[in-house]
Amino acid sequence: MVATDLTRRYGEGDAAVDALAGVSTGFDRGRFTAIMGPSGSGKSTLMHILAGLDKPTTGTVELDGIEITGLDDGELTELRRDKLGFVFQFFNLLPVLTAEENMLLPLSIAGRKPDPEWLERLVETVGLADRRTHRPSELSGGQQQRVAVARALLSKPAVVFADEPTGNLDSKASEDVLQLLRQAVDEFGQTVVMVTHDPAAAAHADRLITLRDGKLVHDAAPGSADDVIELMKTID
Amino acid sequence: MTSLALKSLWARKVRALTTTFAVVIGVAFMAGSYVFTDTIFAAFDEIFNESLKGTSVVVSSENLVKQQSGEVPTISASLLPRIERTPGVRVASGAVFTPGGFFDEEGDAIGAKFSPKFISSTLPEGLESLTYVDGHLPRGPGEASLDEAAVDEAGLGIGDTISIVGRIPAQKLELVGITRLGNASIGGASIAQVTLPEAQRLTDKRGEFDQISVAAEDGVTPLVLKERIAKEMPASVRVETGEENAERSSSEIRDNLGFLTTILLVFAFVALFVGAFLIFNTFSITVAQRIAEFGMLRTLGASRGQILRSVIGESFVIGLLGSLLGIAFGFLIAVVLKALFEAVGANLPTTGLILKSRTVIVSVAVGLGVTLVSSLIPALRSTRIPPIAALHAALMPPSRRRRVINAVAAVLLGVVGLAMLLIGLFGSASGDAAAGLMGAGAVLFVLAVSLFSPVLVRPLAALAGWPLERMRRLTGRLARENAQRNPGRTAITAAALMIGLALVAFVTIFAAGARDSIASAVDDTFQGDLVVQNSDGFSPIPPGAADAARKLPGVELVATMRAAEAKLVGSGEKPRINGISGDAGDVFKLEWKQGGPATLQDLKDDQAILKESFADSHDLEVGDSFQLLSQSGNEPSFEVVGTYDTQVGLIGGAIVTQDVLARDFGQTQDTIDFIRTADGADPDEVQQRLEGAMEASFPTAEVVNQQELKQNQEAQVNQLLALIYALLALAIVISIFGIANTLALSIHERTRELGMLRAIGMSRRQVRTMIRYEAVITALIGAILGMVLGIIFAVLIAQPLKDEGFTLSFPVGQLILLLILAGILGVIAAIAPARRASRLDVLQSLQYE
Repeated sequence: MVATDLTRRYGEGDAAVDALAGVSTGFDRGRFTAIMGPSGSGKSTLMHILAGLDKPTTGTVELDGIEITGLDDGELTELRRDKLGFVFQFFNLLPVLTAEENMLLPLSIAGRKPDPEWLERLVETVGLADRRTHRPSELSGGQQQRVAVARALLSKPAVVFADEPTGNLDSKASEDVLQLLRQAVDEFGQTVVMVTHDPAAAAHADRLITLRDGKLVHDAAPGSADDVIELMKTID
Repeated sequence: MTSLALKSLWARKVRALTTTFAVVIGVAFMAGSYVFTDTIFAAFDEIFNESLKGTSVVVSSENLVKQQSGEVPTISASLLPRIERTPGVRVASGAVFTPGGFFDEEGDAIGAKFSPKFISSTLPEGLESLTYVDGHLPRGPGEASLDEAAVDEAGLGIGDTISIVGRIPAQKLELVGITRLGNASIGGASIAQVTLPEAQRLTDKRGEFDQISVAAEDGVTPLVLKERIAKEMPASVRVETGEENAERSSSEIRDNLGFLTTILLVFAFVALFVGAFLIFNTFSITVAQRIAEFGMLRTLGASRGQILRSVIGESFVIGLLGSLLGIAFGFLIAVVLKALFEAVGANLPTTGLILKSRTVIVSVAVGLGVTLVSSLIPALRSTRIPPIAALHAALMPPSRRRRVINAVAAVLLGVVGLAMLLIGLFGSASGDAAAGLMGAGAVLFVLAVSLFSPVLVRPLAALAGWPLERMRRLTGRLARENAQRNPGRTAITAAALMIGLALVAFVTIFAAGARDSIASAVDDTFQGDLVVQNSDGFSPIPPGAADAARKLPGVELVATMRAAEAKLVGSGEKPRINGISGDAGDVFKLEWKQGGPATLQDLKDDQAILKESFADSHDLEVGDSFQLLSQSGNEPSFEVVGTYDTQVGLIGGAIVTQDVLARDFGQTQDTIDFIRTADGADPDEVQQRLEGAMEASFPTAEVVNQQELKQNQEAQVNQLLALIYALLALAIVISIFGIANTLALSIHERTRELGMLRAIGMSRRQVRTMIRYEAVITALIGAILGMVLGIIFAVLIAQPLKDEGFTLSFPVGQLILLLILAGILGVIAAIAPARRASRLDVLQSLQYE
């Protein structure tokens, strides 16, 4: 996945705000990238544009040779369905479906049958074998987020985007979810892009991108959580 | 806090608008019904006042028993000289005003089918109320004038020939004038004016008048003149001032058409009742969504009362606004109602639309009342939540205690409702009281079902959703789950449609039963080949028609039946009595209980045959005697010589000889003639021959065979059914808005969920499908419940009618069609919400809280 010269301007005239002021970067297959930055740095905007949820004012995003910034709504929908996976801060499971049904949701939307072995392996991996028929309201926050991760992984997407996946979890549950994402990268070769403001979360990534005022200011391996905290201090 | 109420209303304009709309439609129907009927009555008042302009005193016969045909007894022409001699009389004249029929040269009827047509006599100057817009008054035999509306509609002109049929064969007259009565449209009613002798000849009233109109000399008041004339008149004659006569005519019309107001108000009530569900649901949902807001206000120090007042303040504004708009829309409804009645051939007179202060007061009171009551429960509920809980609470499911209370209340209500319904049906209460009991019982029962229905939402949604899930796996599944998510909400939304559909199902089943019952009654009773009757289906035909038929080759037997209303002396009952020619036994079959065809053949003038139910309810047995009071005051007595039963509504409580009917009851016209064709004659040929003969001399009569007779009756049932459907349509429209509204509010709550679905790859089309199916499932839940209710009501109400030969039949095909239509209504309701949901911005939805 390659992003080139991305800018995103909200509003017009004097009130215009540049959320992204020219960002170019690439994401290698099978790597876990964290995006950090203070509020208003443009980290969420960057991810939304990468995920085809928002359009850049200028610049392009290419995924597997397809320029996604030029796609219409229908094509983007299909792209998200088939090639992207999402993990949200608020889990966003459907309360009316069971845990397993929620995992299968993207495939159901596409009208496709799951690969049973892959499903079994994922259920095993997220540790919810005994919770598959539970509804989200019967699961803890951590369990819900693990369902959400399984949902994102099930269709073997090109990229999984995680938007503050630990923002609503306690530290133990956060750790579980991050381990899970790490495992997905290491064992399944999954590409993961995560936006977070939690240094401990970022420390799980292979690579840390830091944004400020819509510009890329840092791009390296994250090191430990403490390293990340030090780094963020210099940026703020 | 008042300004908070207004501000929060403004902030939720769209939702407030849909709620207001529910009030508007409900109130509009009610206001429209009032405006419509008030306008009709005002028009009649105007007609009567106009037609009696210049008339000081009216002399007519007392009318002791009102006839269905509307005919009144005549008075003798010999009274006229005595009136003319009375001091103070400037001019007096006999007058004829008798129902008839008018036809153009091609034999086509002039005027709307069910509208009255009158043959009227000209009056001397000073008494005449018709003004001539063209031509001149008829001066002698062979001349007639016609009212402007009829002339225009039939495309006639001065000099054309029209034929008029009263009680003698149709006569050709020349159109010499075109008339108008004041400013009121006489609404389909047509008046043909001829000279007095010509009118008497056409209506076979030689030596008789329908009334005598008198103008007073200057300086003599109508009241004084009335007293003077009354002294000269026999007791059976009624003397009134012109004003009194107009008032009496007006009040008679009001009595006769009172049912119209009642029926329209019943439909208006249904619309409002359905609207109340919509209002209640909207308030429930919006209040639930604002619980956190209320919690915040409470922590800031707002009291429960203040919150309550703010919610009630909102509903007050909505109720008032909705009621006022409803009154405005009422005018539109009045116009639509008029068109609706015209479409089924019932033209009614109109003037400018009348808005009485009563209409405004009742509409505002009811509209406001319904809104306030509907909002009260959600408002109370919202303030009962502790502030901190409210701050954090998302939507809390109803507590177990509430569910139990609901179920108990539902069962209690249902039992009371059912009891009232049954007492109304089978109890001793009569007429209005029984109808009131049944109506109130039905309303309670419906409320009970809707209170209970949240429990039914789960299984019914599963049932209705099953085919959708099979068809569209995920979207169908999600639609069903979403419909089940908040059973109370879905239940109330569905209940609104349930009411409309219950009524539609009820009348559909009932009409099917009526059609079948009529058909079997015709088959059982009518054994002849052909029938001659008035083409409007109820007015009498001239006796000459039967005589003319008898002369035709191929006709073997013509039996005639006549009818009049009489009063049973010593009781309030007003049975219809029939005179049937003795030879009718062959072609007209009664179910004899005591006696047989010979009893009818040998019937004497002082004997009568009674319908069994009539005899039973008055303890009359064969050999007993009873007296009947006629319209003109005769009181002949009869000995009971036999009893019968019949499923034909045409036949009333007693059969007497036709001679008695003519002599004592003044009825010389036939209601229906039964004809048997001769052996070997082709019935179709005979029918054509008869039709030819009738067209020439008795154009008001039509000739039908058994099949056509049934079809005619069915057509009448169908027409009535169409009218009822049209009136119920409004209630159903309201419930569609209810589904749309609930859906819109639910989608609003589920914004983030929709955003997620779109983010992980659900297409816009899939979102639309999902929402559409949710609406379809909701609509089907309402339809299924409504259908069951409709069937229950139909079965219950058919019970007491069994004695009258009413058999219930279930038009399965039509009921299935209704279910499909309900599904389509769901699709229509979902159009706007589904569009909105599919166009939600994914990012914004995801960030929505």
